[in-house]
Amino acid sequence: MRNNEIDGDDWLEQALRAEGREHGSAYIADDGFAAAVVGRLPPPVTAPSWRRAAVVLLWLCAAVAAVLIVPGLFDQAFRAAVAMFVGHRMGVADIGGVMMLLAAMTWGAVVYAMRTD
Amino acid sequence: MSSPPVSDEVLIARVVVRDDRHAFGELVRRHQSVVRATLRKLLGGNTALADDLAQETFLLAYRNLKQFRQEAKFSTWLYRIAYNVFLADARRMKELPMPEDSDVDEMAQGDSGGASVSRQATLAVDLERAMSVLSDAERAAIVQCYHNDLSHEEAAVVLGCPVGTVKTHILRAKQKLKARLGAWAPG
Repeated sequence: MRNNEIDGDDWLEQALRAEGREHGSAYIADDGFAAAVVGRLPPPVTAPSWRRAAVVLLWLCAAVAAVLIVPGLFDQAFRAAVAMFVGHRMGVADIGGVMMLLAAMTWGAVVYAMRTD
Repeated sequence: MSSPPVSDEVLIARVVVRDDRHAFGELVRRHQSVVRATLRKLLGGNTALADDLAQETFLLAYRNLKQFRQEAKFSTWLYRIAYNVFLADARRMKELPMPEDSDVDEMAQGDSGGASVSRQATLAVDLERAMSVLSDAERAAIVQCYHNDLSHEEAAVVLGCPVGTVKTHILRAKQKLKARLGAWAPG
């Protein structure tokens, strides 16, 4: 005990201290105890394997549905955005290149989302 | 060259963030001895029950690890959980009939004093038995302060009571032990 308030000559105090020292130095071997505890832990919470694919598919469906429902809006918005940033109107070839770039980025994002840890 | 051991704090972070069960296993390996020894003391040497409660202690620690604030040492936090598990079990057991305490002197007669047994060892055995007359709280205060070498303040945190109460428990425990072990008093 670190609170040294009691007379050190007290026989009971000495006996308690001696027993405490013995207790502190006596190491109990693990002998499979830790493995038993880890074995009783609740099972890890893992999402089902199909969840990530389903999420990606739903987002793709939502994107396609949005394009189909409001045709022309995305083309106009894209042209306006490019004109604003680049400062001049773009040709079909330029738009095709940008679309290819976006498609590659989307593909990369999908592959990243579908990766296994 | 071996790498330095990973600190408890790093292991705890791995468990909390990544649910790293190897890290938790390492925490259990590091602290199992003191937790099991503490519970054995609290339970008067009942090793089987102590180990069961020690398992419960670590399972509770795993479930509540996110709540560990690192204001106290991890071992102190574990002591507190162990004590609560012990109290819960004691409350359950009190509903069952308990065998009557036999007198320490009578118990000592059965195996006391071969010439080879030192006085100190015999006193330790008697002391161990005399601990059974203490209340749960008194025994817990003695175990935390003498066996786990905690200060009164740390013991108060573990036992969930004021420092003054810890001191009172220790004082009363020592009075009871002195009365029980009167034959060992000098003079």
